[in-house]
Amino acid sequence: MAKEEILKRIAKLVAEGDEEEAVQAVKEGFAAGLDPLVILNEGAAKGMDIVSEQYSAGEAYLPELVLSGDTMSAVIEVIFANMSKEQAAASKQGVIVIGQAKGDVHDIGKNVVAALLSVNGFEVHDLGIDVTVKSFYDKAQEVGADIVAISTLLTTSLPYLEDTARYLTDTNTRNKYQLIVGGGPVTPEFAKKIGADGWARNAFDCVELCRKLVAKGNPGAGSTMIVDSEAV
Amino acid sequence: MYNYKVQRLLNNLDKAYIGPVLPMKEWDTKIIPQTIKAILKKHGLMGTLDMENPINCDDDLADAFFKAGWELALELGMYCEDTERVIKITEDELLECIRDYQAVNILGEGQDQVIMKPRRPEDPYQPLVAASLGIVCSEENYLPLVQGIVKYPKLVDVLHGPTLATVFGRTFRSGTPYETLMGNYESHLKKEALWRAGRPGMACTGVAGAVTEYGHLGGAPELAGRGNVTMSLCPVELKCTFSNFHRIMQGLNYGHKLRVGAFSYIGGYAGPAEGAALACVANDLLIPTILQSDYTSSYVYDIQLFGNCGRKAVWANSVSIQAISRNTGFMRNKIVNETGGPCTEMFMYEAAVGLMNHSVSGASKTTQPRSAGGRYTDYITPVECWWSGDVFKSCAGMTRKDANEIAKKILPKYEEKLGAPDKGLPISECFDLVKQQPKDNYIELFNRVRNELIDLGMPLDKAFGETYMGKVSNGRRTIVL
Repeated sequence: MAKEEILKRIAKLVAEGDEEEAVQAVKEGFAAGLDPLVILNEGAAKGMDIVSEQYSAGEAYLPELVLSGDTMSAVIEVIFANMSKEQAAASKQGVIVIGQAKGDVHDIGKNVVAALLSVNGFEVHDLGIDVTVKSFYDKAQEVGADIVAISTLLTTSLPYLEDTARYLTDTNTRNKYQLIVGGGPVTPEFAKKIGADGWARNAFDCVELCRKLVAKGNPGAGSTMIVDSEAV
Repeated sequence: MYNYKVQRLLNNLDKAYIGPVLPMKEWDTKIIPQTIKAILKKHGLMGTLDMENPINCDDDLADAFFKAGWELALELGMYCEDTERVIKITEDELLECIRDYQAVNILGEGQDQVIMKPRRPEDPYQPLVAASLGIVCSEENYLPLVQGIVKYPKLVDVLHGPTLATVFGRTFRSGTPYETLMGNYESHLKKEALWRAGRPGMACTGVAGAVTEYGHLGGAPELAGRGNVTMSLCPVELKCTFSNFHRIMQGLNYGHKLRVGAFSYIGGYAGPAEGAALACVANDLLIPTILQSDYTSSYVYDIQLFGNCGRKAVWANSVSIQAISRNTGFMRNKIVNETGGPCTEMFMYEAAVGLMNHSVSGASKTTQPRSAGGRYTDYITPVECWWSGDVFKSCAGMTRKDANEIAKKILPKYEEKLGAPDKGLPISECFDLVKQQPKDNYIELFNRVRNELIDLGMPLDKAFGETYMGKVSNGRRTIVL
């Protein structure tokens, strides 16, 4: 199969969320002499563009995003294993620990964000619902997270977002992790008030926010980055 | 002492321990989307979303959704997150639930008692209004705000109430002892506010600030019996948790009616608007059967718009409400999630379309409003609650055809702003809590938009006349709030 065909196939399989076939296609790409970076940027990344656009247009839904995100993660693992350490480090988007705040089981919005982040090449560790402050901290320490992302739909769970910021400060780890917050009642003003590093209006804005924060570095510096595609 | 509902509930709780085992991810990403897609296809329901006619007028389509929803409910059942097992039901169990379902729900007591009835599409029987949704308000505002919300008996029948920002000045966290105390505290404040408003027998639908069983347990004893309600919301369509069962058991322990719901998301696991509508029909069949609700509180929500006032969600709600209304006697509370804030045209338009739709489609009750999408503290006033009652009740008896034509005229007034809605004003800038009246800026806006909608054909001036809230101030339709 021609190299261009293989790249198109990888993109299609990532977009369709066919993990097994996508990994196989990546291996075929290596066998055909394709550079890992080319497979990543011109194959897998094209697939994530396709599914992101489909979701944005209301042509794909959460299940497709989740499966595509899982496929992207599997494909990236194989690609990185075939890169030099320098190449892999330069290609990594960042490690994110994400979860729904304690007391909150309404995770559908968080699931959209987690899936879109995976689709876009981030290493995402989703802790699920009803996550304690300590669990966010422990997981971030364990996986060497760049970003801790907390979501809630409930006003009664908002205090846990502030508790997390305080816990990171009290354990002298606030400067290790970018803390971002989101969900229905979480406003930019609230994010600033608790000293979060970022807030985004929606899932797509969140991907951009995470990219910018990872590139910027210097977490816990006191400023809150706002990404709002609806802002006039 | 214990009725058949307890036995049925226990049978279904048992099933949560012995039903088919399934990893949650497989349920979410394969079973739900694939089954919904297959059933939509089988019943010819793919592509039935009609963006040009957001309020469905086609009885055959509603009935087709009912048949498909029946099939989905029997094929899938509900997933229990705690045990990762599926609670399946038989067709006999569903038929028994329909057979044994009560004719009415009596809420409240004495002169404040109201009766909830099943409604069919275009039913002239006025549906009930509970106010407000659990929007956060300052502790010092709670009493006068609730007193204002229930001021007009013709407009608001049941109290749900806002959520307290603090308890005795302390921020409370869900799932902690703070929440347990809050449940009791909120219940005391509600009773005080109802007494001050002269409506002591009004029903309360549980503790608004209780998001876990702790808050409900804290508040339920204070609100025991007297036609009050316990609320139990499932995490998502076709799923439940032990927290749901806990709250339902508590409700039964304290003699409450049971309001149980699950939202279906356009763009979520159920997929497109048609899929969300189908899942909503199945929810409304499964919840009374499995969780023994006296009425359900399920509706369709658009995940990309953070609300349900866009065309897709209006259509999906209309067809799913009509499906159940035309084919069962199940009663349902149907919520409109506005995104505009207090003292905005946008809020009034969103509420008008959403509530007119729910009223003509056959909902028995609503809980309103979701001012400013529920995002901001103190962005709720009694006026949004009154407006909700005005619209929802006035539209009873309208034809769906007329409602659809009016909705088509109102939707363009706000739909482009749904991504970035008008925030509006905090209560301090548009409502006088001491006088229990809106300020001039809100009175002017309210009357202007109300008259505009009357001119478009909404029968707001027919249900209550022009003076339901007070005197006619200057002629025709301007009302003194």
